[in-house]
Amino acid sequence: MQLTLITVVNALILSSMYILVALGFALLFSIMGILNFAHGAIYMVSGYICYQLAVEWGLNQWISLLLSVIIIGGFGLFLEKYCFRPFFGNLKRTIIVCIAIIIILETTVNVTVGTLVRSLPAFVPGILMAGFVSVSAEKLVTFIIGGSLLAAMVSFIKKTKLGQQMQAVSQNTEGAALQGISAHRISALACALACGLAAVAGCLMGAIFNLSPFMGGHMLLKALELVILGGIGSIGGIFFAGVLIGTLDATLPLFIGGAASEAIGLGVIIIFLLFRPQGFFGREAG
Amino acid sequence: MDLFEKQLSQKGRKYLTKLCVYAGVIAILSLLPLMIKSPYLIHIFILTFITIIATVSLRAITISGQFPLAHGAFMGIGGYVAAILSRWFGWSPWFSIPLGAFTAMGIGILIGYPFARLRAMYYDMVSLFFGIGVIQVFFVFQRWTNAYHGLTGIPPLLPVTSKVPYYYLFLGLTVLCLLALCRLEFCRIGVTLRAIEQSHLVASSVGINEAKYRVLVLAVGCFFVGLSGGAYAHYTRTLSYTSFDLLATLWLFMYVLIGGIGSFNGPIIGTALLVIVPELLRGMKQFVPYISAAILLVVVFVMPDGIVGLPQLMKAGFLRWRKRGRNGQAS
Repeated sequence: MQLTLITVVNALILSSMYILVALGFALLFSIMGILNFAHGAIYMVSGYICYQLAVEWGLNQWISLLLSVIIIGGFGLFLEKYCFRPFFGNLKRTIIVCIAIIIILETTVNVTVGTLVRSLPAFVPGILMAGFVSVSAEKLVTFIIGGSLLAAMVSFIKKTKLGQQMQAVSQNTEGAALQGISAHRISALACALACGLAAVAGCLMGAIFNLSPFMGGHMLLKALELVILGGIGSIGGIFFAGVLIGTLDATLPLFIGGAASEAIGLGVIIIFLLFRPQGFFGREAG
Repeated sequence: MDLFEKQLSQKGRKYLTKLCVYAGVIAILSLLPLMIKSPYLIHIFILTFITIIATVSLRAITISGQFPLAHGAFMGIGGYVAAILSRWFGWSPWFSIPLGAFTAMGIGILIGYPFARLRAMYYDMVSLFFGIGVIQVFFVFQRWTNAYHGLTGIPPLLPVTSKVPYYYLFLGLTVLCLLALCRLEFCRIGVTLRAIEQSHLVASSVGINEAKYRVLVLAVGCFFVGLSGGAYAHYTRTLSYTSFDLLATLWLFMYVLIGGIGSFNGPIIGTALLVIVPELLRGMKQFVPYISAAILLVVVFVMPDGIVGLPQLMKAGFLRWRKRGRNGQAS
């Protein structure tokens, strides 16, 4: 009973965090046509900024979370203007820029904080008891924050004018420009939003798991899996794939080892994509 | 006719100059151990040779328009198969390295056929997942690969402690591999691959079996990268999965793209620059990665075709400068 509940909570957390990161990744991909390989590194750095502010400088943890999100969002604006915009739609050159960003961010963390594994203190310490079973309050809060952010993001994209402009740009850049939508402004907004979402996920995950300079690679892989599996340009697809992969990641390692479950998951994804390259809900044919 | 002959002779002279340059570079490289006494520098050169085999084979695959983000994993397959056979089963490295290369080639052919269905981004992504999956498989066979802590105690290729024999061995191996890959690129197969890259529809309409050629070049690339992986394993005598993971694969791509993906010399120059320059500035210890990042940023912002495109870029810049000067005088 306890194990089942913990697994369910873990699945929920992993799914919501994966979706948070992947949503930003997908926004960037569909609007700017960029595979942002540095997304994992940005996610990692945000956790370290939060650690620096909260633990080293003694700020309130929620304030440092907010500051970290703002800093990373600003960094996203910088990235869009100086690193991505000059190479609009050129996959090879964006990959070079992304690798350079990854190296700079990882080395900066190594030089300033060190390679030792750090851990953020819990945002909400304590354990919730419900009858026979107990859940750490931290995990529930993480899920609530993640879930409400996702709901806010989806309603932002679907309902507001800016969100609809984003959709328009992602569907057809020239057509959107003809309607008077500034593609650069929209992509700057998307980049800031994407980095901000990754920052929230980085801080929250840093409190549950540990911070390490190499945690970004894993998250990047999950974001790629979600976006490709769900189908490019489909938000519902990301949610579906996120819940699926989050649940698998929370349950499979209970029965077989972590590496084996990862390998099996990737194998299943590859076989699925061979037959349906556009993913679950993709609109483009392979 | 006259013009044609003139062009032909010009082409011939260009070809001869190129040949002389290559021969000169090889001659200098083969005299280098006589001048350099530092074993560390020799070591760096050997690593550069091994990486050059991997990057040039990667570029050979990209001629056909495929961008496999699993090349590091194939290097890992070659390396781990060779290392496991000689470490745990006592095979001679001279047999295990080719066997590792053939294993990489076999797996390349196996995945090549289903992957030939995919194109562009979808191919990149599926091959990326495949590469990461292979690394996870190394972890599953922890007993043999010892992936978490690194496999040590791999038998050496040559019974010597000096690095100079290794230098000559790998120089020879690299030259042989480059000759083979150069031959592949400039023969009929290479032309066919270019046709597929430019338009697979046109290529298949003139009777080119697209899937066959894509698998063929993937198999060739995987063979050479497996060879370099095996050589790496038996030269360094330790293996760690970090040499083959996604970041390593992306680094191989960096070498190719920085050098220039459109030219055969591109990956060679790119690898030499990005491996040797950071090593020469090793005194700065942990700040060394910044130098690599700076090289990447400079190249990506200034030279769109990589370093190989630099002479043309300078020529164009010079012409523009001269033109502007002349205009300034006229007005």
